Amino acid sequence: MRAALAIARKELEVYFTTPIAYVALTVIAFFAAQFFTGALEAYRTFALRASPAEGREVLERLNLTDLVVARLFASVAVFIVISAPFLSMRLLAEERRNRTFELLMTSPVRPYQIVLGKYLAALVLVGLSVAIVGIFPALLSLFARGAQGGGAVEWQTVATGLLGLFLLGAMCMAVGLFVSALTESVLVAALASLMVLLALWVVTMFTVGNEGAMRSLATGMSSSEHLLAFLQGRIRLEDVLYYLSFIILSLWLTDRALEGGRWA
Amino acid sequence: MIEVAHLTKRYRDRVAVDDVSFTVGQGEVVGLLGPNGAGKSTTLRVLTGFSPATSGSVRVAGFDVFEEPLEVKRRIGYLPETPPVYPDLTPRSYLAFCAGLKGLSRRSVKGHIERVAHLARIEDVLDRVTGNLSKGYRQRVGLAQALLGDPEVLILDEPTVGLDPLQIREVRDLVRSLAGDHTVLLSTHILPEVAMTCGKVLVLHEGRLVDFDTLDGLIAKYLPGRRVTLDDLAFLEEIYGKLVMPREPGLAAPPAMAPGGPA
Repeated sequence: MRAALAIARKELEVYFTTPIAYVALTVIAFFAAQFFTGALEAYRTFALRASPAEGREVLERLNLTDLVVARLFASVAVFIVISAPFLSMRLLAEERRNRTFELLMTSPVRPYQIVLGKYLAALVLVGLSVAIVGIFPALLSLFARGAQGGGAVEWQTVATGLLGLFLLGAMCMAVGLFVSALTESVLVAALASLMVLLALWVVTMFTVGNEGAMRSLATGMSSSEHLLAFLQGRIRLEDVLYYLSFIILSLWLTDRALEGGRWA
Repeated sequence: MIEVAHLTKRYRDRVAVDDVSFTVGQGEVVGLLGPNGAGKSTTLRVLTGFSPATSGSVRVAGFDVFEEPLEVKRRIGYLPETPPVYPDLTPRSYLAFCAGLKGLSRRSVKGHIERVAHLARIEDVLDRVTGNLSKGYRQRVGLAQALLGDPEVLILDEPTVGLDPLQIREVRDLVRSLAGDHTVLLSTHILPEVAMTCGKVLVLHEGRLVDFDTLDGLIAKYLPGRRVTLDDLAFLEEIYGKLVMPREPGLAAPPAMAPGGPA
């Protein structure tokens, strides 16, 4: 465990001495802020227009959590998918290129400890990204009040949403880590994992105009489809299992790839 | 300390190391000599447990590299051909990271770093970014990493590459001072280095072990009747030529060379 922690620490040190983590986090913060103000503006216009005609009923159903926070999370999710490959790309590919892979593999460390250490550092970055997104609902609760005088933000829904985003990010990092174990080129690692992750994100387009098995297969594989329930405040076992199985499979494959790389 | 028996390493259809056997005793300093591509680095990689052997066995400190790799890795300090340093880290945090990898206790890390930084003479650059250091310093940071934790066995792949003459002398002195308590196996193609630091010489050629003997033994075998001192570096070149040349097709075996001839 000491070795895994040492690896995680070193990874974080490299992340934050090079610009890569700052750039990725800034991208997420920037777009989250854009989506947040956009969603807020849309909500305001809608509330103003709705009030005279429909009266109280519609207004009561309008709520900031569903219309602003959930929409913000749904839009930010795609940037988590896009930024993850650029954070995971160097994890193992760079070790091979720097020839430091030999150092790791000749240290008294098992491959799974290397994988765990690297993944731990990646999870810290996912946690930071999600924390940045979490600032916006906090801001909202500071300045808005609910209709009955309570809080404007339903924290349970926000929490499940953030959990969903975290699981999504964790899955993207695990896939990226595996791809990074397969190549010496950081760029190839980034592009290949971006392709895989975007494919999983947009696979729902096959649900359009398809029926039966094809449709349920596409829905079942989609990483965006499995995020929806989290954004509505529900934690479904199948969604959690979807992300966890991707994570565990990818980490296991990474471990195998490290072990197998020595035999080449 | 290091027992290698019938070690063979094949990459697809290319044989890099072919049926090599040798034993290095505790406290010995052995030089691994051979032309480029002779299989030096490959042999060292198998010894350190980085790449598995195709056949044959390697035991370090009584542990089989394949069966108990962690026990072996715990006892070896290894400097690979390219110093395994991270350009974005300072040598200090790099060494702290290596100490973590080697499982040294957290409290002792600072002392360990000071010790190896002193041995490798990198105290002045400990807080600079490795990417900005000269090749010689990077090499020495790699060496410091190998010395970390005071391992029983040191395996150094071309430890003096990239160093200037004064630094080479320092590294030589360091290796010599390690002899006795440590078993050192170092590869090089710089002949004077072997003559000055190593008690025994292993000569590899095209993956095969051509000879393994003490310097005196080699002199007696290949330059009979010649009086040489270790200051006379040319003798090793001559022996090396005799060992490595005959395999090349089209060249006559050189033993015809008269004693005291071209050196």
